[in-house]
Amino acid sequence: MRINIKGNIRDILKFTKLIPERIERIQNASSDKITSDPINELAFKLHPDTQHLMISDIFNETKSTKTFKLVPDLDSNTRHVAYFRAGQYLSLKVDVIKGKDTYRITRPYSISSSPFEALKGFYEITIKKTEGGFLSEFAWQNWKVGTKIEASDPQGFFYYDPIRDKPSIIGLGGGSGITPFRSMAREITSGKMNANLTLFYGSSDEEDIIFFEEFSALAKNYPEKLKIINVLSCEIVTLAGCLEGFITADIIQTYADVNESSIFICGPQAMYNFLKTEIDSLNLPTKRIRQEMFGEIKNITQCEGFPLDKAENIYTIKVKMGKQYLEVPANATETVLVALERAKLAPPSRCRSGECGWCRSRLISGDIFISPESDGRRIADKKFGYFHPCSSYPISNLEIEVPTEF
Amino acid sequence: MTQITTNSSNQDKIRFYNVIVAGAGNGGLVAAATLARKGVKVLLLEQHNLPGGFASSFVRGRFEFETSLHELCSMGTSDEKEGVRRIFEDQLNIEASFIQVPEAYRVIIPEEELDVIIPFGVQEFTDAVEKAVPGSKKSVKNFWQLVEDIHNAIIYVGRSQGKVDRIEMLRNHANFIKTGGYAVDEVLDALKMPLKAQRIVTAYWCYLGIPTSRLSFTIFAGMLRTYIKGGGWVPRYRSHGFTTALDKRIRELGGEIEYNTRIEKILVKDGKITGVGTSKGEIIRTNHVIANISPTAVYNKIIYPQTEVPEIAYKLVNARTHGITLLVVYLGLDKSAEELGITDYSYFIYNKGSSDALYEEGTKELTKSHPAQATVCLNKAIPDCSPPGTSILYITTLFRPETWANVKVEDYFDLKTELATQLIDDFEQATNITIRNSIEEIEVATPITFAHYTKVYNGVIYGYENDVWDSVVNRLQSMNHEKYIDGLEFCGGFAEQGHGYSSSLDSGRLAALVTLQKLIESEEIGEIRK
Repeated sequence: MRINIKGNIRDILKFTKLIPERIERIQNASSDKITSDPINELAFKLHPDTQHLMISDIFNETKSTKTFKLVPDLDSNTRHVAYFRAGQYLSLKVDVIKGKDTYRITRPYSISSSPFEALKGFYEITIKKTEGGFLSEFAWQNWKVGTKIEASDPQGFFYYDPIRDKPSIIGLGGGSGITPFRSMAREITSGKMNANLTLFYGSSDEEDIIFFEEFSALAKNYPEKLKIINVLSCEIVTLAGCLEGFITADIIQTYADVNESSIFICGPQAMYNFLKTEIDSLNLPTKRIRQEMFGEIKNITQCEGFPLDKAENIYTIKVKMGKQYLEVPANATETVLVALERAKLAPPSRCRSGECGWCRSRLISGDIFISPESDGRRIADKKFGYFHPCSSYPISNLEIEVPTEF
Repeated sequence: MTQITTNSSNQDKIRFYNVIVAGAGNGGLVAAATLARKGVKVLLLEQHNLPGGFASSFVRGRFEFETSLHELCSMGTSDEKEGVRRIFEDQLNIEASFIQVPEAYRVIIPEEELDVIIPFGVQEFTDAVEKAVPGSKKSVKNFWQLVEDIHNAIIYVGRSQGKVDRIEMLRNHANFIKTGGYAVDEVLDALKMPLKAQRIVTAYWCYLGIPTSRLSFTIFAGMLRTYIKGGGWVPRYRSHGFTTALDKRIRELGGEIEYNTRIEKILVKDGKITGVGTSKGEIIRTNHVIANISPTAVYNKIIYPQTEVPEIAYKLVNARTHGITLLVVYLGLDKSAEELGITDYSYFIYNKGSSDALYEEGTKELTKSHPAQATVCLNKAIPDCSPPGTSILYITTLFRPETWANVKVEDYFDLKTELATQLIDDFEQATNITIRNSIEEIEVATPITFAHYTKVYNGVIYGYENDVWDSVVNRLQSMNHEKYIDGLEFCGGFAEQGHGYSSSLDSGRLAALVTLQKLIESEEIGEIRK
């Protein structure tokens, strides 16, 4: 077959003119430089590499809890705080000074202020001081108005999605796990988020209830949008309207329609362990339950499958990081990430729960233990020996390659 | 205690490599692996913490999603290997496996009452079109004859490395020449293919991202042939599987890779590459850079000093049209494909027949209905790609990047939701399948997301558009005249071979071979590994 499109000669001519036409088009084109890239500019506004922030105010919430208000550090190139979705967190990057030593570590904190407040130029994070808490003790002593803090862009997937979730949200919060719900509550009651929230909030004592007045007032002013049920595990409860004990399936069902809601859970590890049986008894599909990560597993020896005979061992990790080769000691019951930070290596990390993959590193040799619930690796990473140091525990000597921070 | 085993004087030494590859996308990975295999001292730098660029994956809950791939072409079978399989299996020998998708596509155009499943295989394809549009068979058969003629010519041009013999072309590849100056519509009209049959035959136009009134027939023919004859393929463990395998192979072959390192400057002196400057503040010396970065970004931003960029380089960039970008809705569903009634792997749902109308109305408006979608159910190719009783569905639509330029940050998340809702509704309506109440995980990637992870200029995914004048064939013929910096080659979706996984993978091979030749000619390297 011989094709004719517009005639033999015309077709051949058209073809032979292609290259001359190309040359002509290029010659006649503008020689102006392209200086704008609006899509990357927008991407950078939403996802800056680093947010340079400064503490502008500190509020005492309870005896052991403070809220830090963070604004752009105007000495840096940060001019805005990045917009986010209620429920997301910031991974702070902090130089913690202990004695003569400085350790560069990361800690994820849910943003306790709301997205519309980020548009006004600030975030709030609310930190509970814990006994022996590496960062919280340091922050208590050292963080003042004017202290500069580096943060990631907003991270995480613990947010309401109107396509996926039911517009009735059941929040199950414990201790400082109330922080993402405060962000949601502010967003909902200000009319920015089209959903309603019934929050079951567990505290160990009356005076440990964080944001008690704020939630009481919001619930009173917006009864259609927000309900708060405080559940206290202490022996004597004097505050009106508070329940005694723990958040159980019965309590949840008494105050909310579980079949027409999406459940969001954020709290300490112990609360997750307790709630598991309660939630299972509700017999809900996985899609109706969303759980925020809780950071490193506190007591890895209690995880099924952890080799208890190795719990006391200290191993050596050979680390290649950029141009450096180092040897680092590591406890079997602490994550590889903690061992690296203790050795002052400051590797990249964000969620510290195995989820985000920012610390993704290469396991050259040795064995690690990963609890299935904090194993967020890609299939191919498992096959090719990549791992997330933030959720991996050494159970032999290791040789690893860790990326340097961007 | 911690021991530092590297001495500091060694650290401060300026590093030198025969070749530095900028970016670990499909092209950069193959370029680095090809060079490493030849024993060349090569360094691959990538700004993200993963290999792959757009060829990646991500995890949400129980699901691992493919970032951008629908199906790879140019694989061929083990018996009759095509380009990509030859690169992976014969040249680089990487540990990656691929699975063939069951059918080419199902195209649904309600406006024209079309709903046709197109199988792989030329005969099967032709029969399916004839069944849907009786009387079209002759024109479709002639079309395939033409496609075959063009394929043979493309092989010849590809092997000529920019030195095409015109007499030989005229003698042996006349149909290639005679269609070479035309767009798809012009050729199909000349074949007297009924319009309805044209809609079916050209359904893949959205993989090239340019309407058939402008799309080079040659390029369309080349792409369609490799899909229909060789099949569409997906990587067994998502694209992250083969990109990680490439990463592994590069290291095994002695190449070096550093992530979280952005090339901020390509240093040029007197028209020659002298090194790169990285985001870590390091200067690394080399005489050869293979950029898996767009010429747009390289010439306008990265070459240093900018006075080294000749005016003609800006003109070349400005003469071309930057391609489109995507919005993808990733869905993890808590029912199996069978339970949901999803019968096919790949759906093209076009609310209008004409690709011009789809391109004009679909890609340039944010608020209006988005009339074109390409939707894939990964479980129909890889049944166990998600846990039992679940499935993965991706809905993709096209956008001109500038459409997103004025989005306000405070509207961004709502806009994602609005567009995703509408695409889900359109899918449900066109297929009569209900997915809305089975969504366990949802993620929406926009042009902004793609820019965020890859830093590609303006979030563009499809490189430069394949208009007739700027088709891959014309680019390849002109490539030797369009190099403006000595030692600089391009690979990836913005390079001569155009976008798409198979093209960008092969572009890495081509850039590596051209660079290798220069290394040998300039006697920068001695022995070459066979």
